[in-house]
Amino acid sequence: MSNLSHDKAMEAGEIARLLSYFIILIASVGLFFAASEIPTSRFETLGAGAFPQIVCAAIGLLSIVAIVDSLRKISYLGYGRFYTEVKAWMCRRYLVFITLGALALYILVIPIIGFSIASMIFIFSVQVILMPRNTKSIVIALITALVFSFGLNWLFSEVFTVFLPRGVF
Amino acid sequence: MNDFLTGATQIFTFSTLIYMFAGSIAGIVAAAIPGFTVTMAIVLTLPLTFAMEPLQGIAVMLSVYVGGYTGGLISAALLGIPGTPSSVATTFDAYPMARNGEPGRALSIGVWASFFGTIISTIVLIFAAPPLALFAVQLGPWEYFSLIVFALTIVGSLVGSSVVRGMLAGLVGLLISTVGTDPILGRARFDFDIEMLQTGFPFLVVLIGIFAISQLASEVEDAKNIRSGNSLVTGAIDFQTWKVFKEVLMRPVNLLRSSILGVLIGALPGAGGSIANLLAYDQAKRSSKYPERFGKGETDGIVASEAGNSATAGGGLIPLIGLGIPGSAVDAILMASLMVHGISVGPRLILDHGDLVYGMFIAMAVASFMMLIVSVFSMRLFLRITQVPKWAIVPVVMTCCVVGAFALNNRVTDLYLLIIIGIVGYAMRALGYSLAPLVLGVILGPIAETNLRRALMTDADMSLFISRPISLIFLVAAVLSIAWAIRSHLKNSKTTKRTSNEPAS
Repeated sequence: MSNLSHDKAMEAGEIARLLSYFIILIASVGLFFAASEIPTSRFETLGAGAFPQIVCAAIGLLSIVAIVDSLRKISYLGYGRFYTEVKAWMCRRYLVFITLGALALYILVIPIIGFSIASMIFIFSVQVILMPRNTKSIVIALITALVFSFGLNWLFSEVFTVFLPRGVF
Repeated sequence: MNDFLTGATQIFTFSTLIYMFAGSIAGIVAAAIPGFTVTMAIVLTLPLTFAMEPLQGIAVMLSVYVGGYTGGLISAALLGIPGTPSSVATTFDAYPMARNGEPGRALSIGVWASFFGTIISTIVLIFAAPPLALFAVQLGPWEYFSLIVFALTIVGSLVGSSVVRGMLAGLVGLLISTVGTDPILGRARFDFDIEMLQTGFPFLVVLIGIFAISQLASEVEDAKNIRSGNSLVTGAIDFQTWKVFKEVLMRPVNLLRSSILGVLIGALPGAGGSIANLLAYDQAKRSSKYPERFGKGETDGIVASEAGNSATAGGGLIPLIGLGIPGSAVDAILMASLMVHGISVGPRLILDHGDLVYGMFIAMAVASFMMLIVSVFSMRLFLRITQVPKWAIVPVVMTCCVVGAFALNNRVTDLYLLIIIGIVGYAMRALGYSLAPLVLGVILGPIAETNLRRALMTDADMSLFISRPISLIFLVAAVLSIAWAIRSHLKNSKTTKRTSNEPAS
């Protein structure tokens, strides 16, 4: 990566951080007011809502400091380039999104098809997506998928007496 | 003495020793895989210890911990890739030594230095933790609250590249801990009538999501790298075990200095093996007669780094046992595993469960001997581990994370939380937030809140927080740690600006 594109990426990163500070600030303000509605008690000075309010106030103050500091670092042109830079960043990390998406899907289907089958499909398919594809790798992936799905289920149920979801079938 | 003997009887049973032996192997294997940290290995061990006795479970986790520090050495020495962040400095000299045709000697030096580092830290732990606990039981809720404020500020300001983001992460952790029922009156907070939020965020699910899932996701960032395989150093490997043993012992000053440094850094909340190995290496280089040899395969460099990082294991247990404050993410997991068994961790731990604490001391020593035996006799086998490709590891470890999160409460809703927290954790990691303060915030939140509210229930006068001397010391230390961090941050950014301007001027 050349110096110029590195600087552009750094600036886009700073804008992304700025957005995160705004999200944290909005959430802390919202939760501050939500905490103020928690009923207080006659038996103590601070109620159940006081500690979250203190934490939210501190988060809010720090977020403002972070926002001011971040705004100083970002040039006017940086905002215009932000969308392109984020798109490029996401394209470079497409495997992360595929892997996390597969994990989310896997977790959603565990209660339906059960741990063993869901794990076998998840492990095998993610390995196939990530691997350099050749016969040896596919055989290794298949064995690993079987061992860490049905094998793990057997280990937990028989040795540790922890029963993993069986599914509705 | 009675507690010591009871602890020893529990450790020296056949089943505990076998489990510890397996834990030691698992720690070395896990940490030898680049990208697989010691923390992740311990997180994955946790669900396996639920069915065990508390001390047995802790002993297994300590074996993984001690083994993990050694495992990081394998890929550091042979591939030049630190297996864990704690072995960064090991690569400086162990890798050149391995490239110069002495890979076996480099590994042996690291193993022996790790062993002595752990033993020295265990000795310090045995002498330091009980008096600290006796002192801590006299502290009131004011001092405890101020101590937690200090611990969080020092973690937030020490870890990561930005003080503000570190502090924000710590505070977000505290806020996460307030979801669910409040610790004193049991009132519902922030559940928004969603069933899975009513019991709050289970700490271990947060921990697995934040550390393991986000770390695994970041391992697949580079598509080219993941689809290629790294090969190990080839050629004959001669470990020269006993020759190296004498060689390491011939450096008592370096060994002691690095270990003590490791213990001190380990005892400091937030700092850990990742800082200790670099500082110990730096000190060894400064005091060496031949600093120019460092970075080219110098024995002293490997000894300093490995003794320093291994000694943090014992150091980190000092505040955990003495004060009930975990110094690092690993200590937080150890604390959580005791809490799963219904044991409350605090300064009274050593008074109420003396056998458990002395058992932990013994387990540390036993674990380091096991690590040594496993390393010396089967290092050749472990060398193959570094060849396991990432594409095979990532989905398998993710499945283990799912099992770990589910096994805690047998709740499918915990799995939904896991993926949400994992995605948030990855986003935070990508945005440069350090995750250790967040995790410590989650575990310290209820302790901080309980002590704050208890202090004000005892006496509504807020000035007691600054009029009680020990509480004041902690608060002043908290302010100083932030000021120091801001100062060094400004100094660093000035230096960076000057360096980046230099070519233009």
